[in-house]
Amino acid sequence: MSTPLVSIVTICWNRKTDICESLRRIREIDYPNLEVIVVDNASEDGTPETIAAEYPEVRLIKLFKNIGIEAYNIGFKNARGEYIVILDDDSFPHKDAVRRMVDKFIRDPKLGMVAFDVRNFYNYDEVKNEADDEPGQAAQETAAVAEEYLLAFNGAGAGVRRELLEQVGFYPEEFFLYWNEQDTAFRILNAGYKIKFFFDVVSYHKYSPQNRASWRAPYYYTRNAFWLIWKNYPLDMALKLTLKLIFSCFYYAMEQRTFIYLKAMGAAFFQINRLKGKRRPVSRYIAKHLRIPFAVSFTFYR
Amino acid sequence: MKELLIIRSVSFQQLDKNLVAIRERFPEHRISLLTHEHGLLLARKYKDIAQIYVYPYKESFSYRGKVKELQDKEFATVIIPVTNLSGAGFVNVYLFSLSLKAKKRFVCNVVSEFREVSSTSILLMGVRNQLFSLFSILFTLVAGFFTLLILPLKLLQIQNKERK
Repeated sequence: MSTPLVSIVTICWNRKTDICESLRRIREIDYPNLEVIVVDNASEDGTPETIAAEYPEVRLIKLFKNIGIEAYNIGFKNARGEYIVILDDDSFPHKDAVRRMVDKFIRDPKLGMVAFDVRNFYNYDEVKNEADDEPGQAAQETAAVAEEYLLAFNGAGAGVRRELLEQVGFYPEEFFLYWNEQDTAFRILNAGYKIKFFFDVVSYHKYSPQNRASWRAPYYYTRNAFWLIWKNYPLDMALKLTLKLIFSCFYYAMEQRTFIYLKAMGAAFFQINRLKGKRRPVSRYIAKHLRIPFAVSFTFYR
Repeated sequence: MKELLIIRSVSFQQLDKNLVAIRERFPEHRISLLTHEHGLLLARKYKDIAQIYVYPYKESFSYRGKVKELQDKEFATVIIPVTNLSGAGFVNVYLFSLSLKAKKRFVCNVVSEFREVSSTSILLMGVRNQLFSLFSILFTLVAGFFTLLILPLKLLQIQNKERK
């Protein structure tokens, strides 16, 4: 099997322990041709100093302020690999995941993205069948697909062809946080490439939704849901979905007794000029079939 | 052995965590899982899930989205995992659970705490839901009027003008 260069790209912000544990696990990956790029969003807890001292193999890019997900784009621009693996600062791939990912890309030239099966770092090994990690699994058809709809991917574990990402564009920096994967998925699918989940390509994630239990998650999820619609859907679908989302903002504001959704909705409308030149409606087929669970935006507040 | 059904209304990452607690809390139960189609292969990785049912719709769980395969089944317990502490934002899943024959229903939250919900309390939530929906429709009609006037123009303005 050939071993093209794979770039692992992650960002971090004040999570020294988590990113260092991820980097330690990345060292255990069974693949001979890797580069690791960490973009630090101006951490103040000593993260960049620790990475530089303890992980000299890492290409560390230090930023002077926190620019959110745009930091990924800096990592993507610096990546030299044929494939890029996207991770969170608290996630890392299973030791066989990169090898299996490369194998799947080589087998299918129209496969644009390999979505990892992202699992809970603390509990997954306890609840899974032992057989899942046995050799030979990769040879079987392991894609988790649906006949009626298409799926995006999870930013805590995904592989993409670098040239394709450069062609369709990187993460939407105006989003800052959340729904950036779905925005990217629209463009990849619209370019004629596939996104597939594979159950034998696993990523471990320190899943902690408590971290989202602030104003940030409901605010950015809701604002960006509007922007996701306005950037990607054909006009009639965009109007219809906008009305549905407005309804949801009012509904969940009452249900959860908060103004955060209305504030986010207002921000979406008042800041719409940030999307100037970025609306590129996708084909009706993609718009209709890509599964976007917009209701997720309203599940983090309480 | 008693039958238990988990409605997969959360990510697999959270279910990995909740499943450990469910197994401890309900040791004498045979566990089944209801998931959307794309979750079928991923759910098969669980050693403690005896049977997997597919929710045959693209959309989120809804009372209108009946699952034929489950119409004749009876469950001692139905579990509704939620991604937060309170269960807010999951009324659609609560209401869907009423379409299943179950003796007891439990919400399992993000930190794996269990709370029993009766069918009466779910019905009351449904009534409250209708009231909120009514108000939301009225507000949306007002906001929607201005949106439909302005948004098409704004969408044209933000459109990418480059020719491919």
